Amino acid sequence: MGRNELLAQLHEAAASPKRQLERYLAEGRKAVAVAPAYTPQEIVHSMGLVPMGVWGADMEISEAKKYYPAFICSIMQTILELGIRGEYKGVSAIIIPSLCDSLKTLGQNWKYAVKDIPFIPMTYPQNRKPDYGVKFTMAGYERVIRDLEAATGARFSKAALKESNRIYNEHNAVMRAFAEIAAEADITAAQRSDVFKSAWFMLPEEHTAVVRELNEELKRGPRAKGDRKVLVTGILADSPNLLRAFDENGIRIAADDVAHESRQYRTDVPNLDDPLEALARKFSAMDNCSLLYDRDKKRIDYIVEQARQHGAKGVIVLMTKFCDPEEFDYVPIKRACDAAGLISLNVEVDRQMVNYEQANTMLQALKEML
Amino acid sequence: MGEEGKKSRPAPDPNSAKFKLGRIAAKAYTDAAEAKARGEMVGWCASNFPVEIPETLGLYVCYPENQAAGIAARGGGERMCSISEGEGYSNDICAYARISLAYMKAKEAPEQDMPLPDFVLCCNNICNCMIKWYENIAKELDIPMILIDIPFNPDYEVSDAQVEYIKAQFWDAIHQLEDYTGKKWSEERFREVMETSGRSSRAWIDATSQAKHIPSPFNGFDLLNHMAVMVTARGKEEAAEAMETLLKEYRENHEKGISTFRAEEKYRIMFEGIACWPWLRVTSQGLKSRGINMVTTIYADAFGYIYEDFDGMCRAYADVPNAMNLEHARDKRIRLCRDNHVEGILVHTNRSCKLWSGFMPEMSRQIGEACGIPVASFDGDQADPRNFSEAQYDTRVQGLMEIMEGNKGGAE
Repeated sequence: MGRNELLAQLHEAAASPKRQLERYLAEGRKAVAVAPAYTPQEIVHSMGLVPMGVWGADMEISEAKKYYPAFICSIMQTILELGIRGEYKGVSAIIIPSLCDSLKTLGQNWKYAVKDIPFIPMTYPQNRKPDYGVKFTMAGYERVIRDLEAATGARFSKAALKESNRIYNEHNAVMRAFAEIAAEADITAAQRSDVFKSAWFMLPEEHTAVVRELNEELKRGPRAKGDRKVLVTGILADSPNLLRAFDENGIRIAADDVAHESRQYRTDVPNLDDPLEALARKFSAMDNCSLLYDRDKKRIDYIVEQARQHGAKGVIVLMTKFCDPEEFDYVPIKRACDAAGLISLNVEVDRQMVNYEQANTMLQALKEML
Repeated sequence: MGEEGKKSRPAPDPNSAKFKLGRIAAKAYTDAAEAKARGEMVGWCASNFPVEIPETLGLYVCYPENQAAGIAARGGGERMCSISEGEGYSNDICAYARISLAYMKAKEAPEQDMPLPDFVLCCNNICNCMIKWYENIAKELDIPMILIDIPFNPDYEVSDAQVEYIKAQFWDAIHQLEDYTGKKWSEERFREVMETSGRSSRAWIDATSQAKHIPSPFNGFDLLNHMAVMVTARGKEEAAEAMETLLKEYRENHEKGISTFRAEEKYRIMFEGIACWPWLRVTSQGLKSRGINMVTTIYADAFGYIYEDFDGMCRAYADVPNAMNLEHARDKRIRLCRDNHVEGILVHTNRSCKLWSGFMPEMSRQIGEACGIPVASFDGDQADPRNFSEAQYDTRVQGLMEIMEGNKGGAE
């Protein structure tokens, strides 16, 4: 397939998660919804189940208002809204971690709002690096396995997990390579987003195959024009109107620190005898994320360093409204950018936002500055 | 700090619980300031951090949440929040955190000063927002941060895996503090602290349970003030003694048929959520003027830490309101409503607290149904005065009162 066909295929998956779900179900597979930002997808996959990402959708909220006050982020609100409206019908369970306060409440509301899809909690430790933290992560995984077995009838085996860990590492490598290639290739912000977003609705081995081919096509293809390069950071960057504003203003995403995108692919599962411990060690090695305890605020240095490495002149913070982990990090990010001579921009994003005119105006101003 | 007693206030009785509790709360700040002046290290401590650790080690700590509440209650909330917002912090962030981050910058607040920290003690059994807030303080002041991570428990009971994880962190925290401050852990001292904490807790639970009497011998707004001592000083001898005095007074009030609720008690409600500190007088008066006594709150249950040993302590800290699942949190409140003959629930939908407010609509519905009582909510904030509307509060309280009246058979 050529570049455009590959991108079209990924766009279709990104734009039609429901169709993807129906396809897997029609193949006789069972699917499990996985909520932001991290869940042990390797375990789900190893049990022959299809992990399907749920990050909400750009939509009006009505039913979820019975459960949530207005000041909870729209990602949580729309996940619940879609659940109540039956959009996830067919999935056998949902795994929701408790990595932020709003995620804690999503799990609790889910039990009563969406009674036909069982809630499986994943409790991660914040003190994840010491051995006792790794042990606690393993206990969390064991609980997920028990709940998945009960909800789906599927069985867990360590041999299968070892293989899934390998498949996910391979996917990580391909996605990291894509992010680097996309920084230099002639690809729109919307197309770049499709590649990341589609990963949430495809089996990793299938996605790996398509993206690997795409990487080769992009390497052979034309280079990007212009040098208005930025690093984008935040939880989500998938709004079509927002992405259009990037493209219309000729602003290229040279790198990202987006939870829905590259943060997923930075850390591999190490090769250990026990694949479950290996998976827990992966979580313990993860860093540079607003949801993971970071006394030294290494994420801030990471953002500046990545911007520099990729020749980005600016950092665009896509601030998900009401996301306090990100809001706390914004101040040190801004200060670090100022100190490093990087332009920084705080653009508020929200699942309920339709009009990105303000963002467009900000990006127009940024275009001039770059 | 409630409304009652404002007029012709008599000289405080130094033997009263109110005086003793107020003195303990104030002494925490002066002790810390004096320690700092002597060159001792002082920490900032999260409200639900296991106070037994600094107490056993003999460390001086201050409580930023307590300070923020004090600043907000005395009218400084908006000024301090604005300082943080000027730094770039969103006004969506918890107002306690905004006030605290502002204090770190301003280094003074006429409403309540406290020394800047040499270390921070963080525990997220109240919320994960604490982690982000303390990270920023630790990084900016370049001081150690000790985090005891107590994850939100999705199950009804605390698991052995969770206790094991918490216990390992407790020892890690103790060893880090020993290394940093030079203080030493003593098992003997820990047992004393544990026993004192148990004494304070038993007296607190017993005192708050006196609301089982009709009328209640106290105004529930008292609890919002007194709980500060339970949070910060329950391991201290004087706190245990003051709580026992409080219990004695409440029992005596009942025997004499008097109450610190200085109005006829026509209705009894449970108040849900953190106090609306900038509007304490308004929220209190809005109830009292209608004869509504807030007879209980989850705080009555939350700060009773009774345990027998170190493992028990670890388990107790995992079993606190904001770390427990909806069903467990609900059942605790249902018990409080039933034990205290509650006729309605008033929920503070607190803009600052995503965790507390995030599943409150569903939980309060379930409590209301289980107890057959009405639920009303109002929008507010624990420390930012801009997020509260007096008119809305008044309307909601009036509505709640009318339903309670109807339930008594008195509706037209």
